[in-house]
Amino acid sequence: MMPYYKFDYFGFDFSLVIAFVIGIGFGFALERGGFGNARILAAQFYFTNMRVLKVMFSAIVTAMIGLFYFAWIGWLDLSLIYIGDTYLVPQIVGGFILGVGFTIGGYCPGTSFVSASTGRKDGIVFILGILFGIFVFGEIFPLIEDFYYSTNLGRATLPDALGLPYGMVVFLVVLMAIGAFALAGWGEKVMSKKNWSRC
Amino acid sequence: MSTQKTYEPKPYSNPYLVGVGLGLVLLAAFLIMGRGLGASGAASTLVAVGIEKVAPEHAANNNFYKEYLGDGTTNPLKDWLVFEVLGVIVGGFLSGTFAHRINFTTEKGPNVTNKQRLIYAFIGGTIMGIGAKLARGCTSGLALTGGAVLSLGGWLFMLAVFAGAYAVAYFIRRQWL
Amino acid sequence: MKNLFEKLTIAQKLALVAFVLGFIALLIGNPNNSNKITINAKELSLSTIKDHDKINVMTLADWIIKEKGDYTLVDLRSEKEFNEYNIPTSINIPIESLLNSDLMRNQKIIVYGIDDVTSAQAWFILKSANYKAVYILNGGLNAWKNEILFPKLDVNATEEQKAEFEKVKQISLHFGGSPQIISGGTATVVNQEIKAPTTPKISAPVSTGKPAAKKKKEGC
Repeated sequence: MMPYYKFDYFGFDFSLVIAFVIGIGFGFALERGGFGNARILAAQFYFTNMRVLKVMFSAIVTAMIGLFYFAWIGWLDLSLIYIGDTYLVPQIVGGFILGVGFTIGGYCPGTSFVSASTGRKDGIVFILGILFGIFVFGEIFPLIEDFYYSTNLGRATLPDALGLPYGMVVFLVVLMAIGAFALAGWGEKVMSKKNWSRC
Repeated sequence: MSTQKTYEPKPYSNPYLVGVGLGLVLLAAFLIMGRGLGASGAASTLVAVGIEKVAPEHAANNNFYKEYLGDGTTNPLKDWLVFEVLGVIVGGFLSGTFAHRINFTTEKGPNVTNKQRLIYAFIGGTIMGIGAKLARGCTSGLALTGGAVLSLGGWLFMLAVFAGAYAVAYFIRRQWL
Repeated sequence: MKNLFEKLTIAQKLALVAFVLGFIALLIGNPNNSNKITINAKELSLSTIKDHDKINVMTLADWIIKEKGDYTLVDLRSEKEFNEYNIPTSINIPIESLLNSDLMRNQKIIVYGIDDVTSAQAWFILKSANYKAVYILNGGLNAWKNEILFPKLDVNATEEQKAEFEKVKQISLHFGGSPQIISGGTATVVNQEIKAPTTPKISAPVSTGKPAAKKKKEGC
């Protein structure tokens, strides 16, 4: 049964080897997508290049469908897949703050590592910024600890929250993604006519 | 330099194919490890370890740092996410090398100086560090991973990220356009 | 049909595949086979013979003292009850959240409740969810209290019983209990039961408070 680690097919030390290998795949894919380049990432927020949305949603759809079918066949115990608890308000507020940082800085944490490894100075500086931001957060943590732990909904998932079968949510996400891709293609055409520099 | 053959950087790959590839990597992480990808967690571990080195008592009194330092039985740097991020750096470098996209430069819009861009990058990184820790994850750990497992928090977070990013895009358009 | 498919761009092909797979998912509905129980009834019934799947409190006490660490002791009661008293080294997983816990399928798991009823239910839940090694603490917390914390010896006990009691006494004292010697007769025993000292507040070195905080989280 999968996931292998949770059934103890191998130990902690070997899991670190796997982490490294999976990380290589992750970094490789991000770089191929152009995510080591802040101009491409930022173009997402000016509708001139929607690669971020395209890559992200097709990755989510792929992994989501994969999980669904592996679980359905019976090879995977879906309940053993780690899903972090939902902390409603802190996560929405945090997401908003992160989005602001995304447009200003041009990267997110994962992409900044790729950017730095391909020599981008702004990526390296961005990582220093993240480290400093985490330090700031750590220092103010005692003050916001109550807020940080507020509105805990536990291991909440969309099927539970919407009261829909898992398969239906999968289908809706696929539909939404395809709709978003169509819109993205159309948006890119419109915005490129506006003569904003394309990257 | 002039004697060396210079290569033009190759164009980036088809985003949908990259997306499927990234999705398969994510799926592999789920199937083998039972967990998704991440990035900011490694940075947090690094910060927590740094604080512990400089001011051990300060770190011990802070629940946030403590969470990343573990119970002291193992080295906190011996962590899944830390090794994964090391892989990300190597993977990005390999891909960049194959496509001739390694370039010691600064990515910026045409209307800002390098220095301005780097200041923006630092400020953006700081804001993102705070946001990521408040939300308990970043675009990799929460939006991508949480999105694939249909986590409620992951999807709301993703919407909030786009909302925040588009909300300020207009005001700092000079940096990028 | 085939030509039509070949005419599509890569993006359109991928979208089509995703749509078809998504649509089939819609028809399937729930991928979770794990909520359906598939158990080998014969194997289950066989494993109950000879009490293979039960651990005596004395054995457990011995393991705890020797700091044997190859098992996970799970307290199935509510958090409140757990905080009032728990067997050292135990972790608290209320029975209703058993399937959402971090327990591994191959761990040696010993479950206990106040008596045998809850642990029997938990045993079945875990077994049916494919947990390999699940054991019941025989008699539950009641047995732990009677045999370990407050063992009793009749004044008229034989020498053999007394010698045995000395050993129990040591174990009992280790866990902060109070061994008693009672003078025979049912009435006195009942009386003693009522006067039985309150459960000592032992806080297990590892377990009380937030056990989850010790473990590094898996998230980003």
